[in-house]
Amino acid sequence: MQLAIQNLSKRYANGVQALDNVSLTIAPGMFGLLGPNGAGKSTLMRTLATLQEADSGAAIFDGVDVLKEKDRVRRLLGYLPQEFGVYPKVTAAEMLDHFARLKGVTDSKQRKATVDALLERTNLAKVRNQRLGGFSGGMRQRFGIAQALIGNPRLIIVDEPTAGLDPEERVRFHNLLADIGRDVVVILSTHIVEDVADLCPNFAIISKGRVLLAGEPGPQVERLRGRIWRRVVAREELEAMQANMPVISTRLQTGATVVRAYSEAALPGFEGVDADLEDVYFSAVAGHVQS
Amino acid sequence: MMTIAWFEFRTKLSRISTYVYLLVFTALAALWMAAAAGAFASANIIFSSDKVFVNSPYALGQTITVLGLLGVVVVAAFMGRAVQQDFEYQSFHFFFTSPITKREYLLGRYFGAVLILLFIFLGIAIGIVIGAHWPGVDKTRVGPWMAAGFVQPYLVMLLPNILFLGAIFFSLAALARRMLPVYIAGVVVLIGYIVALRLLRDIDNRTLAALVDPIGSTALGLVTRYWSPSEKNTQLIPLANEILWNRALWLSVGAAIFAFAYARFKLAFPNEGEGKKRKPSTDDAAAQTRLPRAVPLPQVTLDTSARAYLRQLPGLLRLYLRETVKNVYFGVIVLAGALFILANAKVAGSTFGTNTYMVTYQVIDFASGTFSIFMLIITAFYAGELVWRERDARMALIADSLPQPTWLSFLAKLFTLMGMQALLQLVVMVCGLLVQIFNGYTRFELGQYFFTLFVLQLPTYWMVAAFALMIHSVVNQKYLGHFLVILYYVSEVMAGALGYDLRLYRFANTPGLTYSDMNRYGHFLGPIFWFMAYWGAAAILMLVVARLFWVRGTDTGARVRLAVARSRWSRPIALTSAAAAVAFAAIGAYIYYNTNVLNPYRDEFARGELQANYEKAYKSFENAPQPKIIASRVNVDIYPYQHELRTSGTFTLRNKTGAPQSEVYIGLLEAATIRKLQGSIPMRAGDVRRDLGWLPYTLERPLAPGETMTLDFEIDYLPDGFTNDGARTLVVDNGTFVNSQLFPALGYQAGVEITNDNERKKHGLAPRPNRMPDLDDPVNRMRNYISGDADWIDFEATVSTAEDQIALAPGYIQKEWVENGRRHFHYKMDVPILNFYAFLSARYAVKKGEWEGAQGKVPIEVYYQPGHEYNVDGMILAVKDSLDYYTRAFSPYQHKQVRILEFPRYASFAQAFPNTIPFSESIGFIAKVDPKDPKDVDYPYYVTAHEIAHQWWAHQVIGANVQGATMMSETLSQYSALMVMKKKYGDAKMKRFLKYELDNYLVGRATERKREQALFRNENQPYIHYRKGSLVMYALQDFIGEENVNRALAAYVKKVAYQEPPYTTSRELLAELRAVTPPEYLYIIEDLFETITIYENRAVSATYKEAGPGRFEVTLKVFAKKMRSDESGAVKDVPMDDFVDIGVLGPDDKPLYLKKHRIKSGETELRIEVAEKPERAGIDPVVKLIDRRSDDNTVAVTKG
Repeated sequence: MQLAIQNLSKRYANGVQALDNVSLTIAPGMFGLLGPNGAGKSTLMRTLATLQEADSGAAIFDGVDVLKEKDRVRRLLGYLPQEFGVYPKVTAAEMLDHFARLKGVTDSKQRKATVDALLERTNLAKVRNQRLGGFSGGMRQRFGIAQALIGNPRLIIVDEPTAGLDPEERVRFHNLLADIGRDVVVILSTHIVEDVADLCPNFAIISKGRVLLAGEPGPQVERLRGRIWRRVVAREELEAMQANMPVISTRLQTGATVVRAYSEAALPGFEGVDADLEDVYFSAVAGHVQS
Repeated sequence: MMTIAWFEFRTKLSRISTYVYLLVFTALAALWMAAAAGAFASANIIFSSDKVFVNSPYALGQTITVLGLLGVVVVAAFMGRAVQQDFEYQSFHFFFTSPITKREYLLGRYFGAVLILLFIFLGIAIGIVIGAHWPGVDKTRVGPWMAAGFVQPYLVMLLPNILFLGAIFFSLAALARRMLPVYIAGVVVLIGYIVALRLLRDIDNRTLAALVDPIGSTALGLVTRYWSPSEKNTQLIPLANEILWNRALWLSVGAAIFAFAYARFKLAFPNEGEGKKRKPSTDDAAAQTRLPRAVPLPQVTLDTSARAYLRQLPGLLRLYLRETVKNVYFGVIVLAGALFILANAKVAGSTFGTNTYMVTYQVIDFASGTFSIFMLIITAFYAGELVWRERDARMALIADSLPQPTWLSFLAKLFTLMGMQALLQLVVMVCGLLVQIFNGYTRFELGQYFFTLFVLQLPTYWMVAAFALMIHSVVNQKYLGHFLVILYYVSEVMAGALGYDLRLYRFANTPGLTYSDMNRYGHFLGPIFWFMAYWGAAAILMLVVARLFWVRGTDTGARVRLAVARSRWSRPIALTSAAAAVAFAAIGAYIYYNTNVLNPYRDEFARGELQANYEKAYKSFENAPQPKIIASRVNVDIYPYQHELRTSGTFTLRNKTGAPQSEVYIGLLEAATIRKLQGSIPMRAGDVRRDLGWLPYTLERPLAPGETMTLDFEIDYLPDGFTNDGARTLVVDNGTFVNSQLFPALGYQAGVEITNDNERKKHGLAPRPNRMPDLDDPVNRMRNYISGDADWIDFEATVSTAEDQIALAPGYIQKEWVENGRRHFHYKMDVPILNFYAFLSARYAVKKGEWEGAQGKVPIEVYYQPGHEYNVDGMILAVKDSLDYYTRAFSPYQHKQVRILEFPRYASFAQAFPNTIPFSESIGFIAKVDPKDPKDVDYPYYVTAHEIAHQWWAHQVIGANVQGATMMSETLSQYSALMVMKKKYGDAKMKRFLKYELDNYLVGRATERKREQALFRNENQPYIHYRKGSLVMYALQDFIGEENVNRALAAYVKKVAYQEPPYTTSRELLAELRAVTPPEYLYIIEDLFETITIYENRAVSATYKEAGPGRFEVTLKVFAKKMRSDESGAVKDVPMDDFVDIGVLGPDDKPLYLKKHRIKSGETELRIEVAEKPERAGIDPVVKLIDRRSDDNTVAVTKG
């Protein structure tokens, strides 16, 4: 049971090519979709969530044509959008009950059991009768995942869920996601590399609508062994450095400017360092590595 | 501050929507102007009279003010958005943390919005100029352009409106930070305007109404109310009196509201969500970083079948409905609507300031009429809100990815809208019931409420809901959607005003229905239901479109949406569309057949064309000698429940001239079906034009002078199908009222001609010099003004009707019998009558009375609708009092019975036939006269007395067909009725009645479309022969004495009653009046009857001194002015040395002193002694003279 995406393309009316021949094969388990803002992650998420049409290409999930059989997909789907609002005057329990009904849980006993369990899971049981309008950002996200999990979905799409959460909430959220069943496809799109590093046994990097790289974090990091170099520079030298050297990322560490570069050979003035997933990301985006 | 204002102005200036609004106003103004100047054949917009230029200061003032009223919504939108946009776009973060002050921010935004609004309203001025130069306008309607004429209304009316309304909307938006209250306020303002218009009907409250109207157009109308056409063309709108007070008042209100909002506004983060009572989120932090208990999620079975979702529909419906209705703003708008209905109730259906019983149909009429605009606004607004519900809450992405079918949300929202509208109709009904209860009327007739509100009205509202839903579904932009829906409303109103009234082409438009207690819904429902089905089919097609384009997901591009729509096309949808399309086409064809083929539809221009063609073709025959009818013997068979009329009859004709006659020109209505039309002398038909109503015949041998012949006819009226206005109203189930115009007439009918000069020009006719032949025209003196084809005739008729009805015609009942399930009545007159008679049939109840006079007993019968007993006894009393007076004052009553007959309210008049008086349901039978209220005018009594008087003035004395003829019939009837009233109520109570007459006369003058005439030459002008006539005759009898006037009238009757031609004219009547007038008062006859004389008298000051016990000395200063007016209203002063009442009044207008003094023009001081403490004093206090401003005739007396 996998999700096969084949040559998916989408061009918006203003000329932006949001998806450019995207092909991916996603097995059950957590799959991370990594990319900068504007890469096309949300477009891909929305297309898989039956909210948008693609110009060409196909996506098949367990025999169901995602693009053409929207009704069937929705029955298997759980979707947590990147940005969403709430009806401020409705309580968490009421809203979950309403969504459960719309998802087709017609039996009221089952519905109550599900809603209760989900509230427990997401640790919102204590605030089940509080109005959604008073929820903090972290509580809202947990509510979001709760509604996505109604009805035992087999394809779960989570779009940038941890952006804007404080460190505690991020951890909580990760724990929630990690608990989701084994043979469920969970696609987690994010621009936070740590999310993928922490949670995903498989991932892909997407930028400007194209898949740059797909694989497993471990091996991908391993590929960069001995190719990542580090140097502290003065601010005035930075511009020249970026122009002349294969710099992949620039960062400030305790006030000093640190650059990391990708190179198969040693670079003058740079020291070799261990690679991490972030380096994989920056290298891919800079075009130094691909699938 | 100016930076902010300028930035605001500039950004709005670069938006397309600004130019769209500009274009809309330009277009509206242009269309309006063009229509007023006659560019559109069927349009009818008059600035009170044809003589007023469409670009005169007066007309410009009206146009700019009214179109500015439409702009209320635009003002609301711009002013609201000026401050609310920062909250919607979340840009307040930037503005509130920058170093601008509150003053700079608020005032800057406000004035920026004012500037952009002024820019947009410039469109009105541009449109006016364009419209006046539109191809096809009548250039004579456009006068000289005066720049001041433009600028003044902008400065005096529009700018204060923008400032004041803008302040209110701006303040609302600043405090509420939402647009919804602003829109509601816009609606409330619109309604305030409508209420002011209604309050205006009750005279006492006119100043109040002028102040209440925030737009200022009522004040404008009030100040210019009595301006003559020439004044309207030249005088600028004055910033004075009511206009000044109104502007000052509302500007102050606006400033106060703005100040309040200013004080409360904070440049701070708005309190969202829970508001003040925000509980801290009880999130257990520590417990959470631990791994959560992996609570197993239960397995659930999903039922995503259509049936399962269908079962969810009611729950969803309840949810949406509750959300919509339990909303504070919804409650406010409904409450506002309800309050307006209740406020209006006091003034609904009143005549002469007297109320009527709150009968159910009247209450339903004005309640649903008042509320309809609320209904439409709510529908438009909530259609958008419902469609955008999920997207506004930013829940749409989640909701759209759930497996519920698209149709679930679509249907739930559709049914919510429909249910909401039904709920609102319920509110209307409750308000109606409350109004009835408050007025002590308990015949509720719930069935009628239910049927009219829910079966006749609600479906059309549903169709509008379908349309709104379709717009919001297809046009994926909330504000644009609102705009388009409102545009549809506006275009509906404009279409009506511009004369496009074919309902086949106007969505959701059905023929109206006038409910009558007599005939109830009658047979009018059929056509209404056909139109409903027709437009219902269209609404279903709209719903199909809405369903196909229903937004789900985030694609907004047109191509994608079309592809999605195509993919949604399914079998059930195809079947529904096909069925609806077929129904639409088929019913449309059927309706077209009825309204355009069976009963050819003619718009106003086409009707005018027929009239014009008649005149063009046949005017030359106007004075051709024709035989005259001397006897009429007819059979009329009324089939009320089949709505048919069959007649047959014989006219006896005689050649009353000295030469033989061979041509007979017969006139007959187009709707008549001729089964037989032949003369005792065989006649050959010439060039017959049934559509023009001209049937010329040539006699095979001439009719010799003095010879008689008969004309036999069988003519049927069989209605076929229905018209654009619904079923025909000739014969109805209960309450048929037809007259002798159904029968053939002889000769050229001058009444067919178009009287209005502008209309005549449109159809290629020269203007008519006069509306009636000149006073001394010798040819027309040989005809009476009622009918040119007869003098006095013998009359006999047999009327038959359904067995359960009573049928009546003028005459004494000879025999009544039932035959073959139909009832027959045979009537006969024993004295000759005029050739004008009527037939009525209904299921009457009868009340009988009796009058006894010198000539014997006269039975009085009132035939009325059971349930309308309220004023029947009063009418009988009026008949008795009138007969008492008239038989003693003028001459014996020539008939042996008096019958008053009620007929349905499709027409609103009373009419006097010989001993038979049809009286409309709506003007006397449901009047609620409160005998204890001194301000109530008993108009059923008055109208009855007037109609009885006609038995003398028209049925004994009849004037020639020349100017002034109606002075003898209408004016003398008014006089007679006034004297009967004076006898019953006393001289003092007449004041209120006379004030109404004066007021209506002055308004009539100001709206004169051709030329005012002096009373003795009036050309059948109601405001002259009724209103001025009352005033003139009352003043006359006040001067020379009631006894003397009556003596003159009695002598007049003796001389001219029942005369054969040449007929009498107003000159003869004036001669009789002169004969009884003392020499010092002779000038009055000229003033009152032969000229248009107007006074401008006023009391300047009055003080009193107590000179001793029971002795009060009053010093009174008055100012007098007398003017003569020529026919177009241009006045010139005339030196005055006349007798005028000088009066001192005590409490309740009790006259302590009332005597005629000789007063000269200018100021005069008088000293008068009275026995009680005086309250008011003045000149002509009872207003017997025609005075342009009569409320300044008296002034309060202060201690001096």
